[in-house]
Amino acid sequence: MSDYSPKILGFLCNWCCYTAADSAGVGRYQYPPNMRVIRMMCTGRLDPSFPLEGLATGADAIFVGGCHPGECHYIDGNYHALISTSLVHETMARLGINKDRLLIDWASAAEGPNFVKIITAFTQRVAELGPLGEAEGMDQEEIRAKLSAAAETARGRKVRTGLINASKEMVKGGDFSRQTISGLVATKCDKALTALVG
Amino acid sequence: MNTDVQTASSTLSGAVMVVGGGVAGVQTALDLTELGYKVYLVEKSGALGGVMARLDKTFPTNDCSLCILAPKLVEVGRDPNIEILTKSELVGLQGTPGQFTARIKKQPRYIDEEVCTGCGQCTLYCLKQIGDDYNENLEHTQAAHIDYAQAVPTSYYIDAKACLRLNYETCGLCAVACQAKAIRFDQQEKTLEIKVGAVILAPGFGRVSNEILARYGWGKFKDVLSAFEHERLMCASGPTGGEILRMSDQKHPKKIAFLQCIGSRDETCGNNYCSSVCCMYAIKQATLAREHDPDCEITLFHMDIRTHGKGFDAARERATKEKDFRVIYARPAKVEDVFDGGLLLTWATYDGQHHYEKFDLVVLSQGLEAPDDAEQLARAAGIELNEYLFAQTDNYTPLATSRPGVYVIGAFQGPKDIPESVTQASGAAALCAGQLAPARGSETIKASFPEERDISQEEPRVGVFVCHCGINIGGVVDVPAVADYAKGLPGVIYATDNLYSCSQDTQSLLIEIIHKYDLNRLVVAACTPRTHEPLFQATLRDAGLNRSLFEMANIRDQCSWVHIHEPEAATEKAKDAVRMAVAKAGHLTALEEQELPVTPSALVIGGGLAGMTAALTIAEQGFAVTLVERDKTLGGRALLLSADRYGNDPQKTICDLIVQVNNHPLITVHTKAEVAAVSGYVGNFTTTVTTHKASEVINHGVAVLATGGRPYEPSQYLYGQSARVITQLDLERRLAASRPLAKKTKQVVMIQCVGSRGEDLSYCSRVCCGQALKNAIRLKNAQPGLQITILYRDMRAYGFLEDDYRRARQLGIIFSRYEVADKPEVKLGKAKASPLQVTYYDSLLSETMELATDLLVLSTGIVPEDPTALAKMLKVPITAEKFFLEAHVKLQPVDLPVDGTYVCGLAHSPKSMDETIAQAQAAAGRASQPLAHGSIVPAPIVSKVDPELCIGCGACETFCPYKAIQIYKEEKKRKARTITASCKGCGVCAARCPTMAIDMGRFTFAGIMAQIHAFGLEN
Repeated sequence: MSDYSPKILGFLCNWCCYTAADSAGVGRYQYPPNMRVIRMMCTGRLDPSFPLEGLATGADAIFVGGCHPGECHYIDGNYHALISTSLVHETMARLGINKDRLLIDWASAAEGPNFVKIITAFTQRVAELGPLGEAEGMDQEEIRAKLSAAAETARGRKVRTGLINASKEMVKGGDFSRQTISGLVATKCDKALTALVG
Repeated sequence: MNTDVQTASSTLSGAVMVVGGGVAGVQTALDLTELGYKVYLVEKSGALGGVMARLDKTFPTNDCSLCILAPKLVEVGRDPNIEILTKSELVGLQGTPGQFTARIKKQPRYIDEEVCTGCGQCTLYCLKQIGDDYNENLEHTQAAHIDYAQAVPTSYYIDAKACLRLNYETCGLCAVACQAKAIRFDQQEKTLEIKVGAVILAPGFGRVSNEILARYGWGKFKDVLSAFEHERLMCASGPTGGEILRMSDQKHPKKIAFLQCIGSRDETCGNNYCSSVCCMYAIKQATLAREHDPDCEITLFHMDIRTHGKGFDAARERATKEKDFRVIYARPAKVEDVFDGGLLLTWATYDGQHHYEKFDLVVLSQGLEAPDDAEQLARAAGIELNEYLFAQTDNYTPLATSRPGVYVIGAFQGPKDIPESVTQASGAAALCAGQLAPARGSETIKASFPEERDISQEEPRVGVFVCHCGINIGGVVDVPAVADYAKGLPGVIYATDNLYSCSQDTQSLLIEIIHKYDLNRLVVAACTPRTHEPLFQATLRDAGLNRSLFEMANIRDQCSWVHIHEPEAATEKAKDAVRMAVAKAGHLTALEEQELPVTPSALVIGGGLAGMTAALTIAEQGFAVTLVERDKTLGGRALLLSADRYGNDPQKTICDLIVQVNNHPLITVHTKAEVAAVSGYVGNFTTTVTTHKASEVINHGVAVLATGGRPYEPSQYLYGQSARVITQLDLERRLAASRPLAKKTKQVVMIQCVGSRGEDLSYCSRVCCGQALKNAIRLKNAQPGLQITILYRDMRAYGFLEDDYRRARQLGIIFSRYEVADKPEVKLGKAKASPLQVTYYDSLLSETMELATDLLVLSTGIVPEDPTALAKMLKVPITAEKFFLEAHVKLQPVDLPVDGTYVCGLAHSPKSMDETIAQAQAAAGRASQPLAHGSIVPAPIVSKVDPELCIGCGACETFCPYKAIQIYKEEKKRKARTITASCKGCGVCAARCPTMAIDMGRFTFAGIMAQIHAFGLEN
């Protein structure tokens, strides 16, 4: 496994993680060269299908990087990102894919070193898991086909209505812990996911 | 407030002359045109850029110097309201403020700027070799030349002293070679008379003379370099292509010594002051030398380590630790040559021991002097100089010279670094705008762009430009290979590599290539879109394309800089980034621009020296200001000081300021008030301010944060337990009394850095050393027989404060340096009334001393007022030390990353009163720009609803944080629509829409999907 180098796709928000990544560069902090970055204004833009599409299309893992909870440049986009990633985690679990392959974490604009720490540790973890399918004991082609179908599902009206309901309840309840959010998503999207993923 | 400038508006000029085209002059020129004034930018040499253009990197972040300067130079070159006069000098200034006539002597360039295409044929054919001044004469150029590749104006010129044709009537080959026919041997010196309302002097600094450098073997031994020479050697565009080589044998030095204070803090050369920047630049150079050669051993010889700027200590400590620097407190007296090519340094340490050691290379950290022609310039401008020939300014009007209407910024005002120079530049622009407010816009014209080409029916034709960024990218990533790779990507019509993609000549090249190849999308693989996107987007507009047809691949900040030791992997990553950017570019469409009105008023939070100065400087420009202060009165912490270092009482100035602020018709003051909520964005903020009685909603276009700081409360050294232990601020109060000291006081001890630099506060508070010196001198003046001992780590008496340090020593005040591992100890005396026992190790005497101390004064630092709540409301970042984090530490020192918000005073970092005033004026100047414009054009990244797909569920309306989406009814069907002016482009609506009916400008679903799929493809 020593020469295995995982492919990671990152979705970074412009204001925090992307800036932290830049400031890591300015400070010449070094980290493994495995991640490719897609910049978006806010992790709230993260369509739930994006991480699934990324895994389907060749990534071994996905990183979503936003502002610290409560510090979103757009007030609460990062909580919506948690809704989207919860769906992806739920889907991964149902497909038998190790949930560690998707990480959502935070680094503020001033936290270049923290960003480096997160990416270094994540790259290491993903390297331990090996290529997509290996830790799962599944055929890669098959798994990617399933992920592709799941991405399509995540673009469907049924799942997205579930996410809307989960988001509404999250905002209403005011509890933004990961556990609560993933619980909400699992409940609200259960039917749609069961019908399409199993 | 700065000067009593009396002007009659009828004849007031709306133009300002800026003398000096370095970073300070360039910044002030750009700020002035943004504020509505025409600028004549007068530069003595053949090109703008000044010293910053010669630097490889800038501290403390080691950002590439030219990379951050070049966009500004390009902007100046493009600005229709800036007239650049190169080879020009100010020789006279007649008239009164508002109506000056400036006389300019302009030397000929002998090449017509308007005609020259910058091709360089003249240099190629020129027979006369001359020393290349830009490269510190370490290599040659020709008499017909350009100073450096990115120079603005992008025009060559002929050195009149060297040219064979001009001196001997021979040669003239350049005129034959020049295809553009731009050579003009018959050009003559011209004298111009220009009417301006104000003048800003920014001539920069002069060099320490070669005689001083020669004392340390410079000029005699080839491997003794000045820091400026060393800087050029490190630079990719330098004489060795970025290799640090010994001039004697072209080998890499393995042992480098940096000698500090060359021509600074040195009475023998008349420069008694500290140059303020050399400690940091030496640490930068040492860090880079280690990066160039990880085996190279570095030794730094300091007298004191003066790294007092924001984040400097942290940067220094990290560099010292990671790069394993050896730091020696000593001043080697001379450099000797030894037979086998080494350089021998001899020095004595504090303990009296003598040492000697051989080095491969010695770098002289030379100080900053007043400009060579300071006296001439002072005569021409009619201003006074100080004893060191820097411009004379007052503590409370730091940017005003002795002549009303003439301002000074940058190193000519006193030795300083780039951010301080840039700060002063913005401050002086604000003062001019205040002085000339009635003439705003009277001499400016509006920039125009060619009509946008409609590309909606065209297939994507992508151009890719891959930047070397000197060696910043090119030193790690195989840039030509990336450019070659890009050529094969779908949709790419043209791809190439550039040394610096951001230089002005490259912008012209980009436009040329866009036209030549009919490109309709542009991808630049370079630094980061966060800093450089606006520059390339402006170029797109110049090329007749919509600015949204641009995408950047980040191959420096997130690639070459973070994978320095993995060139192959970094090259692969760069290729992937380019492939993904090209894929996205294919989906970019032209987006409509929207102009939004700006509420023409400002909110200033904090009513101390910074806040009041900012409020007044904005109001003087004619804009309404609301000033919010938490306390019941204005004034802030400056009222705690009872004298400045010149012996004046600052309270008088502060009280005058309070009266001015309270009486100004455009300023509304709310005391005992706090900000409860903020919403909106630049141009249209809405803030709720609450007082004990009521709450009020204020609409404003911009916000200045001047929330200030407070004294650190010590618990060390028996503070609070003994009445004999006080802080410097307690002492300030006592010194204002008629009898500051108890009768029998014989011995006073001051301890520096209490709680600072790694204790409770990680940082240096910058002002405590100066305050200790000031108070010690005041005590000594009040009671000459008093014994005063100051225990310090580094006496950070930067700039002209060094005069106080010297004076204190002359007065017999004893200074003793302590190690952080061996701090002084303080014990109570045996009897209640007996003195304290202060024990410390005296490194000069090499023994432990015990002092019976009547009064112990602790020099404690400054803590920022907790900015967390406000930072959250405004979405602006703060540092770990809880200071506001500026948008760019070097070139945007008072802007916060959120548009329309600015910071000044102690909320930014600890600083002195004059620095606070200059910074507040700068924040006021920057904040006034959107107000002066009257409108803003936000980035068109807003959401758009497809009514065909929309089912009117209203989820988007529910989740939009800005109420920027509304449900409306169309033929009885519910549909959503975006209120473009309110949308900030976060994209939550798009991610939540059940039918995917919403898409985002530039961050479209199709674009991101294309990026994901491009990611999946192998190279």
